[in-house]
Amino acid sequence: MKNNEVNRPLALGLDVGTSRICLARRTGEGYDYDTQLNAFVTIPYSKMTEGVLKKADIPHTATATEIVVHGNESDKFADLLNVETRRTMSRGLLNSSEPDSLRMLRQIVTSMLAQSPQKAKLCFTVPAPPLGSEDNLTYHEASVKQMLLDLGHEVRSINEGLAVIYAELESSNYTGIGISCGGGLCNVCLSYLSMPVLSFSVPKAGDYIDNSTASITGERANRIRMIKEESFHLNGFFDQKTFQVLGVYYDEMMQSLVQGMRDAFQNAKNKPKFSKPIPLVLSGGTALPKGFRDRFEKILLESEFPIVLSEVRMASDPLHTSAKGALVAAMTDM
Amino acid sequence: MGIQRKVWLFLHRKLVESRANSIQDPFKRLRYLRAHVHEGLFPEPEPAKVWTRLVPKPSLGIGLIVALGIVLASSYSVSRVQTTPVIQPLMVHPVLPSPLQPRVKSQTATGVWLVDQKNGVETYSNGLRIDNRFAVANVPRMPYAVYPRDQADIRHVQYQNQPAGIVYHTTESILAPFEKDQNKTLQQISVAVLNFVQQGHSYHFLIDRFGRVFRVVKESDIAFHAGNSAWADEAKVYVNLNSSFLGVAFETQTQAGEGRPTATPAQVDAARVLTEMLRDRYRIGSRSCVTHAQVSLNPLNMLIGYHTDWADKFPFLELGLQDNYSDAPAALFAFGFDYDPSFVSSTGARLMPGLLRAELEIRGRAAKFNVPLSQYRVALRNNYREIAAAAKSSEPAKETPNEEQ
Repeated sequence: MKNNEVNRPLALGLDVGTSRICLARRTGEGYDYDTQLNAFVTIPYSKMTEGVLKKADIPHTATATEIVVHGNESDKFADLLNVETRRTMSRGLLNSSEPDSLRMLRQIVTSMLAQSPQKAKLCFTVPAPPLGSEDNLTYHEASVKQMLLDLGHEVRSINEGLAVIYAELESSNYTGIGISCGGGLCNVCLSYLSMPVLSFSVPKAGDYIDNSTASITGERANRIRMIKEESFHLNGFFDQKTFQVLGVYYDEMMQSLVQGMRDAFQNAKNKPKFSKPIPLVLSGGTALPKGFRDRFEKILLESEFPIVLSEVRMASDPLHTSAKGALVAAMTDM
Repeated sequence: MGIQRKVWLFLHRKLVESRANSIQDPFKRLRYLRAHVHEGLFPEPEPAKVWTRLVPKPSLGIGLIVALGIVLASSYSVSRVQTTPVIQPLMVHPVLPSPLQPRVKSQTATGVWLVDQKNGVETYSNGLRIDNRFAVANVPRMPYAVYPRDQADIRHVQYQNQPAGIVYHTTESILAPFEKDQNKTLQQISVAVLNFVQQGHSYHFLIDRFGRVFRVVKESDIAFHAGNSAWADEAKVYVNLNSSFLGVAFETQTQAGEGRPTATPAQVDAARVLTEMLRDRYRIGSRSCVTHAQVSLNPLNMLIGYHTDWADKFPFLELGLQDNYSDAPAALFAFGFDYDPSFVSSTGARLMPGLLRAELEIRGRAAKFNVPLSQYRVALRNNYREIAAAAKSSEPAKETPNEEQ
């Protein structure tokens, strides 16, 4: 046994998503995940409030004038105070309209990495460029990378769609299509033998569904997200108007995703060709509702999709797939 | 790229894949692949085909070196691809899906004309045949009231007298199995249905299950097909459509959700050529070709959807029409009507985009006038009551038993 195998450094996978941040670690033969909402709320400062938060062990930061509650607890506080949560990211990138975006992202990530004090090989996810826009990912990627370097880790990035492939498509030698349906974007990657051939993102995702539904129903988008995650499904009809509206926008999102994929693959100058059907894997929180896979496959079948697929399946653990893929990439670098 | 280079690359890729397959540890295998798979390993791919189903393509055999060229064309072969901007970036909320566009090209641009009229059957240039054996007269169409889309109140009334649209219905009559040995029964039922709708002056046209088109009420007269109803095109709002819209019925029953199609292929073909002829003759826009479920309303509880025929699965696209299910029902945005969840539950989700669009429109209008939505809705309902009262007083009474609500 070589020495470097004995002293192998810790590997971490970090999925930096618009809606959630997920940290993956290897535990023996399995994986362990820690997930936090990538959001925060601010509350006017009072000693009593701070005391309550400390007593309840709720992650927060206090300044002279306000208390910031971040991560998972921000949702509950936003609901309690009837306000929207503030978001560090928007459409897959640092939120340019949120002045505290990087500072708050750092606080959330720091609290998550607190349990991993030793220097780690850390791989974090970055989105692919959105179709139809000129978004520059460089600033986002460089800022997050610097933030993680400052925390003392050895850092590299991985495309989010490719991370899905690394996590799920071992059986096809990492050949296939990985899709991560997140909050800000749907990331798509086509890979051949682990090499990303075509990557892009589609800007209609979970936030689009939540915001559109909120504008129709008059509810807050944050509340819509909670309702969606608790009990929405895509099978059958609904008596509740919120569910009816969610169904419409889910359909629109999937149509947009399939259209984007079909057009990207069809219009590409050098189109990939495969001799045998390849798998497609769906992951991410937005793909969680029951019936999502069936509806997506139906739309795909009707779309004259230019690549023959062997299967359309859900990832084994859709909420943690990207983080697991990032971890696999980090471990492969060792 | 020369054939030798192609063959070399192909063999090299196969070798890399084969070696990868022999590595059991997934991390080691991924490490190996990442080290050995790179862009230079792939030739320029050839144009690919479009696939419409998720089924494996039969793989080509590998054997003779001569066949390698064919194998190359069908093997895993890729090169890095630049994405082409193809879809619009996220738009301002809320955004609703645009209506889908027709699958078949309408012949209205070239015109549809009467070719022949023999033995009570009219033949048209687009293949339409209309059987006039059951045609009857009813009350002649008189000038009917229309209102501007953005000011649908009695003070802005205008009049016109040509048919402005088509309402599609289902007869909801009994259906025998559509099978060869049921031929006699199927024909008997069709005749019974025709006699019934003729007696009630229920529609202008009926399409039986074999796709035969029968004229029931002359187009110059009104038919009692739509009752309390409303629809709007781009510019105008129409109320109680018996006078303003033609009624076309399919001999069938509405079936919401998945399951067998509501109309037979022959009925869809016949409806397409009939629609073409009517649109050409009366200059009817695609947006004014709608289903009874979309226009029907109940003034007693101020809810839409009193009738639900063709609330789902109407073949708009096959008829050369845009998918009007996503259009806003006029009763909602122009007259402040509402809908209950049971309407959506019982009809399927096809109408939801239209309902949402209407809701956005009424909210936008209320905001424009700076009045609360509830107050604006009350004002619209009062407008409707005035218009409906005026319409009732000028409409001919119906005398037959199968009375429209």
